[in-house]
This record gives sequence, C-alpha cells and structure tokens, in this order.
Amino acid sequence: MITIQNLKKSFRTEEVETLALNSVNLKVEDGEFVAIMGPSGCGKSTLLNIIGMLDNPTEGNYNFAGNEVSGLKESQRTQLRKGNLGFVFQSFNLIDELTVFENVELPLIYLKMNKSERKQKVRAVLERMKIAHREKHFPQQLSGGQQQRVAISRAVVTNPKLILADEPTGNLDSKNGIEVMNLLTELNQEGTTIVMVTHSDRDSHYAHRVINLFDGQIVTESQNRAIGAMV
Amino acid sequence: MLRNYLKISFRNLWKNKGYSFLNIFGLAIGITCASLILLWVEDEVSFDQIFPKKDLVYYVPTNQNYEGEWRTFYSTPGPLAKVLKDEIPEIVGSAITHSTNLLFTNGDKGINRRGRYTDADFLKMFSLEFVEGSAENAFSRPEAIVLTQKTAAELFGENTKVLNKPIRVDNKENYIITGVVKDLPQNVTFRFEWLVPFERFAEQEGMEWLAGFGNNFADTFVELAPGVDFNAVDAKVREMLPSKTEDADTYAFLHAMEDWHLRSSFKNGKKAGGRIGYVHLFAIIALVILLIACINFMNLATARSEKRANEVGVRKVLGSGKKSLISQFIAEALITATFATILSILLLVVLIPQFNILIEKQLELRLLDATHSITLLGITLICGLLAGWYPAFYLSSFKPVEVLKGVRAKIGGAAIIRKGLVVAQFTVSIVFIISTIIVYQQLQHIKSRDLGYDKENLIKMPVNGSMIENFLPIKQDMIASGMIENVALTNSNILSDGNNGSGLEWQGGTDTEDVLISFRFITPNFFETTGMKTIEGRGFSQDARKDTTNVLISESFAKLMGDGSPLGKNVLRYGETFTVIGVVNDFVYGDLYGTSDPVMYFNNPDNAFNMYVKTKAGFAFDKTLIAMEGVMKKHNPAFPFEYEFVDEAFNAKFKGERLIGNLFQIFALLAIIISCLGLFGLSAYTAEQRRKEIGVRKVLGSSVSNIVQLLSKDFMRLVLIAIAIAGPLAWWAMQNWLESFAYRIEINPWVFAAAGFVAICIALVTVSFQAIKAAIANPVKSLRTE
Repeated sequence: MITIQNLKKSFRTEEVETLALNSVNLKVEDGEFVAIMGPSGCGKSTLLNIIGMLDNPTEGNYNFAGNEVSGLKESQRTQLRKGNLGFVFQSFNLIDELTVFENVELPLIYLKMNKSERKQKVRAVLERMKIAHREKHFPQQLSGGQQQRVAISRAVVTNPKLILADEPTGNLDSKNGIEVMNLLTELNQEGTTIVMVTHSDRDSHYAHRVINLFDGQIVTESQNRAIGAMV
Repeated sequence: MLRNYLKISFRNLWKNKGYSFLNIFGLAIGITCASLILLWVEDEVSFDQIFPKKDLVYYVPTNQNYEGEWRTFYSTPGPLAKVLKDEIPEIVGSAITHSTNLLFTNGDKGINRRGRYTDADFLKMFSLEFVEGSAENAFSRPEAIVLTQKTAAELFGENTKVLNKPIRVDNKENYIITGVVKDLPQNVTFRFEWLVPFERFAEQEGMEWLAGFGNNFADTFVELAPGVDFNAVDAKVREMLPSKTEDADTYAFLHAMEDWHLRSSFKNGKKAGGRIGYVHLFAIIALVILLIACINFMNLATARSEKRANEVGVRKVLGSGKKSLISQFIAEALITATFATILSILLLVVLIPQFNILIEKQLELRLLDATHSITLLGITLICGLLAGWYPAFYLSSFKPVEVLKGVRAKIGGAAIIRKGLVVAQFTVSIVFIISTIIVYQQLQHIKSRDLGYDKENLIKMPVNGSMIENFLPIKQDMIASGMIENVALTNSNILSDGNNGSGLEWQGGTDTEDVLISFRFITPNFFETTGMKTIEGRGFSQDARKDTTNVLISESFAKLMGDGSPLGKNVLRYGETFTVIGVVNDFVYGDLYGTSDPVMYFNNPDNAFNMYVKTKAGFAFDKTLIAMEGVMKKHNPAFPFEYEFVDEAFNAKFKGERLIGNLFQIFALLAIIISCLGLFGLSAYTAEQRRKEIGVRKVLGSSVSNIVQLLSKDFMRLVLIAIAIAGPLAWWAMQNWLESFAYRIEINPWVFAAAGFVAICIALVTVSFQAIKAAIANPVKSLRTE
C-alpha cells in the first residue's frame, strides 16, 4: 500500500535548516499494523504527516496505493486523502461546536454523500463503537475515552484503506487506552491498514511491526510475535 | 454542506455571545448609519423626479455682470417668458410666475398660504393632476384660482367639492375655484399651495412696470419640444435679453430640472455645484462608516483565529479543500451581517423619526419597496463579503500539520494588518472629531458675527391689509403698551437681498453704473428699531414729505463716493436726483458669509412688505405678543396676526450648515463607538493571549499598573499613529470646506490637540478595562491552566 523511497524532509527558518527525515525507506503492505517509535523530535510525526498527505516531502518518492504523492498540490492531496485515509489524534481533535453525530458525519459530507446514506453509516459506526447513545452530545460532555471513540468512529466512517494514528492513547488513562487499542486491532483484523506513532511500549505490542526512528532515520525494525499480547 | 456551515456558524455565535454581540452590534451601527444616509441621499436625488416632463422643462435664471463679475439671479424680466416662446420655435411652452403669500378666508376660517401667479402653460409643464376641474379650463377666466387638495381641505373641509365656489382673497376680492390639484410631495423644488392667472397680478401691479425688460422680478419656466438640441436652444435663450435691451451685461440661460435641487450654486455665472457636494460627501461617509464596522469584524475574526485554527486543521484533514473553508467563513460572515441587518432594521424603525426631526425631512423605511429591500440586501452582502473575505482567506490558509500540533498560527502578518486596521478606524474617528469641532466653530463664528443691527428682541410681521395706512396708530398703541420700544416699516426682509439695481451715478465715483446698489424704502425710525447707527449726518425727518429727495447711504456706499464727507453729494437714480443727508453703518444681508452690497435708504414706506417691532427686554414674549396681537386686531382686523422672530429666522438660514454639524456629531460618535467596540474585543484577546506572560511577570514582582501599562502601550502607539495621519487629513478637508465661506474662522491648532486627547482618553478607557482585568487576575490560575 505504501512505498517510501529515500524520503527527506527539511525545515528551513531564516537562519537554520533542520533535517527532520533523512533518507527514509519504508514499505507498508495492505492489512499491516505498523508502529513507529522513537524519542521526541526524531521525525515520527513528520513521517506520519507525509504518509497522511498533510505535508509534502522535500526529496524522495512516496507511492500510495499506486499513486505518486510527492509533488502533488494541496488540492490534489486533499482529493486523494478523501475516503482513503482516516486520522486519529492524541488530542482527539473533535470540533467542539458539532455534536458526536455531526463530527462523525463530517468526512461523509466532504465526500458529498447523500443524507440518508450518511445517517445510516454514522449510526452503524457509532453503534459499533458503542457510543450511539451519546450521538447528540457535544465533545465537552464526553470523557476522554469516549471522545477518542468518537474520533475513531470519524476515522473509520468512510471505510478508509489506511488509518493513521498519532499517539492515540497519549491523553487517556490505561483502561481507556486499552479499549482504544483493542478497537484499532479489531479494525486491523478486518483488513484496515494501520500506521501508528507511539511512545508507549505497551501500545507498540499491538502492531505487527515496530519501526524505530532516531534523528530522522530508521534505525531498527522488528516483528512482533504475539499480536495483542497485552490484551 | 450549507446546513453544516449554518449550524456551526449559529453555534459559534451562540457560544461566543460577547464577541458575537460586539460583531453584530458594531456592524448593525454601521448598517444603520449607512441606511440613514442612503435614505437621505435617496430623498435628495429624487427631487423633481415625479414630473413626467423633467427632461424638457427648464428654469430660466439670469446672469448679470457687476464690476467684472457675473452674478446669477433667480429673477427675470416680465416679458421674457412670452418672447422666448414666440421667438424660439423649439420652445413649446413658457410661464412667467411670481411667488407670494395670499390670505384666504371662508367664513371664520382664514389661512395664509404661499403660491404662484402664473400662466396656463405652467399647469401642463408640471403635468399637474387635477382632482377637480381640468388643466385645459382652469385658467379660462381671470378671477380663477387653482388650489392644492390640502389647502382646499383646510378651507372647506375634507372631501368637499369646491369647484366653482368663490373664495375670499386678502379680504378684498373673490376668486372662483376652477380646479383642485393633488398635493405636491415634499421633494419638489418650486412649491405652491395655489395658482392664479398671472394677468391678475399684472392688473394689481400695473402693466407698465411689468412689461419692461429692465425689471427682474419673475420666475420664468420654459418647456422644450422633445428631441431638440439643448445647446442650440440655450444659445438662443442667451442671446434673447441682449437683443432686446442692447445690454450684453445681462443674459438668461436654461437651467435643467434635474439640477434645480442639487446643482443650484453658481460662481461667476458658471455652475458651481450645490447640495450635490453634500450628497457626495455623505455617500462617502456612509461607505467609510460601513468600512470601519467591517474592519471590526475582520479584526475580531483574525484575533480569534487561534481558537478556530484547530477546527480548520481538522476539517482539512477530513477532506475539506481551501475553497470549501473559504465558503464556510464567508457564510459565517454573511450570517453575522444578516443578524446585524435585522438589528439595524429595528434600530432604523426607532431612529428614523428622530433623524427626521434632525434633518427636517419625512424619510421612511419601506421594506416592501424593492429599492429599499434590495439596498438592504446589497448592504448585507457587501458587509458580509467585505468583512468575511480577509478572515476567510487567512483562516483557510492555515496548515493542518501546524495547527493540529498546536504550533501557533503564523500571526505576524495578520497582526500587522490588524494594527493597520485599528489605525484606519481611529484615523476616521479623529477626522470626524476634528471636523465636528471645526464645523461647530464656524457655525458659532457666523452666528456671533456683528451683523450691524441687533437681531435680539426683534420681530418681523408681513405687511397686509391696512398696516401702512394705520402705521402711526399701530406704532403709538404698541409703544403705549409699555412692552414695545419701536416700530418701523421697510420694503425688504432685513436678512435678505431684495430690491436692488445698477446704472446709478453719483458724485465722487467712477464707473458707477456698474455697481449693484440695494434700495431700502423705510420709515424714519427703521434705524432705531433695528439698532443701526447713523454715523454721519442725520436720519430722516418724521415727516415723510420733508425728505422725499434726500437719502441715507451705507458706509460702503460712502466709500464709493471718494474722499471727504459724502453729505450733500448727489446720487442720480433712474432720472431722479437724491441728496445724501446721512451715513448709516453697513449691515449684513443676503449671503450672511459674504460682503453685502452698498445700500441706499429712502424715506418712503408706501411699498413696505415688512413691519419690524423691537420689543423691550425683561417682558415675557407671550405677554408682548398678546399685546401686539391686540393692537393688530384693532387696526388691521381683517388679517390674522402673523409674526416671526428675526433671531430665529437668522438661525434658520444656517439649516445646511447645522445639518452638516449635526450629522458630523452623529458620525463622530458612531465612528468612535464602532472603533471602541473593536478595540475592546481586540484588547480582550490580547490580554487572553498574554495570560501566561502576565502571570509570570506578576510572580516576578510586576505591579498591576506595570501590567496595565504593558498591555495599553501597544494600543496607544496605534492611536498616536492615527492622530498623526488624521491631523493633516482633517486639516486639508476642513480647509477646503471653509474656503467656500468668505466669512470664516482660521483653523486653530488646539483643535487637533483636543481631538487627539479625546481619542487617547477614549482608547485608554476602552483598553484599560481589559488590561486591569488581566492584571488583577490571580497568576497561579493562569500559570496552572498553561
């Protein structure tokens, strides 16, 4: 699904140029669950943002499901992203002014899906995530775990090929964290590819493969034997 | 998608009620103000538009040359109307008219109304709508009179048929009502309440005087045939008077109906604008006020951008394109503008009656009228788009990667623009403050001008009935009341131009024929009554027969007689020689800002139109008026007692300037309110953004006043920049305005200092409210929340 070759990303300010990613090569197969780990500032999130087409690399190639992404304009990236990618953030990033239902519905609106179909899909995903009884609530009325479940609902409502999760349990207690990881595992088992950035060793054990970044480079790659060992 | 935009907009407005209020209220004030001005402009430009022949009918003024300068007069010789129609084939209709007051009585009802003696063509030119009678037959008899519906109703009652009924005029003769026409709306330049065939006036005044080309007294109107070349006809009209009089110094010309109200000022014989200048000025002011209201919206929206940044990031991640976000933010601005318009409609309903009193008009908001509703819709759209475009482009350009990571949106550029907009708002406010002060000063300056007479306790009464014959007993009885000092008669209104002429010769003068001299026919005590001073020689003898060939002259006339005393010198006026026996101080009349023409006084009240009464100070006016009314009822019983206070009439002369002054006051106030609303919101956000910094500073020992100073300093700097820009701008604008007055103030530098001081104080109060609030907050709280 993802082929990254010789990817570089540098940030330039007036005086300094910082190399955030340096010659990264990475392949993610369909249905894989990959965890990216590393210390703060190693380039994990930069890599995730490029995979998520929120940012363009400075150099190198990035192929997503047969499409070359590097060098695409913002509008073209938006088009490719729509319906193919789902995002889960550490701080949930729900829109405070929209209800649970409306937050989950939003990606479908951008896909220009008709109203009845949207309603059906949102209801189904909320049922599945066991949050349907809160559909009329606003984000501030929910617990952190519930908010993250809404965020995951929003990420999966379009049936994306790939879910990108940026420290999805970072703001949650361990009980809610485990629940979220179980949900992601379930989605992965149903065929959704997942790339997750995490600081947590425990969370990384849910992945098939763990990639370690350091100073913008992949330093180690390891396969997990016992998937879901911590459940 | 639209529903989603609307939903989020409403929720955002509701969630941030305080800022929504600032935004909506600020915009509503701007829209209300712009709407009031547009209603006024609509009324101004609608003048005379109701007449179907508005493109064919022209007024005919005259240009007259005096001492090398062309002066324009709204008066023409009597025969001009007829010769224009007879000798210029393109002119298909013409009317001579003379405007005056007549007293109408029906039983015990008596009313005095202004109207016109005119020709039958006048009825057709103005396409008057007859509710009784017809234009064809209305002037078929010499004693005919056409009334407006309102005048007919006042005399005979509503819905009474009055055709062919007699009506008593000036208590001496009967006219027959031959027609009733619909009332003219307020926006008509040449008004009347009655029309009478001009022959009637000619009979009363004597044909000889009216038939010559030498006397200018009448209004002349002409109607051109459709499709004729205006310039060719105008050229023929310009040649007409010189060809009749062999005097190239006076010619008539065509003045289009569309210019009557808005472009009626002339300078050296050429069109020099008029009210159109004010129409343009206020239209620009409406736009400026709207703009500063929109600036508030832009400023608050961009200041709040950090709050919205996360939402922008999420939406972009979820598939929203830039266009879609721009649409969303513009939709939000449009919704805010719609709320503002709704609030503004409510404000207009409340304010229009007050505004009407202020501007002395009858404006109304007609929401069912397409022009009004489309204009309001247009204003809403313009405000929404104007206020929304910048925040929309700014917010939608946020990069999701940065904003979702909590990296502060790059606000540097926006902050500069925001500061620029605050400077712009305050510049406008300060220009308004300076202008308001200068307009007020100029108005006070002219009002306190030494007029050469004392307008206080001076009452003017129109002369009618037997007031001239009974002048002496009227005067005696009034003085005997103990409340009146003196009474005098004169042919002219002391405030106005009136009777004048040129072609005189006098001893000691050169090129005297070219000088325009005003003629005042008075009773001897006119000077004592009005408080004017005889500075040389003597006044007239109380016995009018003794001074029939003697005259008094004004100081400026005396100067024209060369060195030495003018006493005993002769003045030749239209074949009669008069001897100067006294010199009176100059007085200001006509153009109250300018220099009045020299005056010649005659001891002859036979053609007096006005009686002036000087009342004694210390008596209540109502008691004095009752005493005067008693005297008038005794000596002039057939006519109602009518009067006017000269100081009030004088003040009424400054209607235009007063309007400007009042409007400037309002706009200055509104501009300040709107600017302060914006500043208040901005300072709140600045305080919020710097919460942590304030907390740290307090922990490190900073005092409340240090913090207030810190937060206010930046805003004060902006106000100082605004003062620096507004000063020269206001000076230039006001200097231009003042140059239109001959008698004017010099702009004083303290005005700028005062306006700057006021702006700083207002800004300081606005900003320090938020600054103090932030400064006295518990630092532990702000540091903990970080």
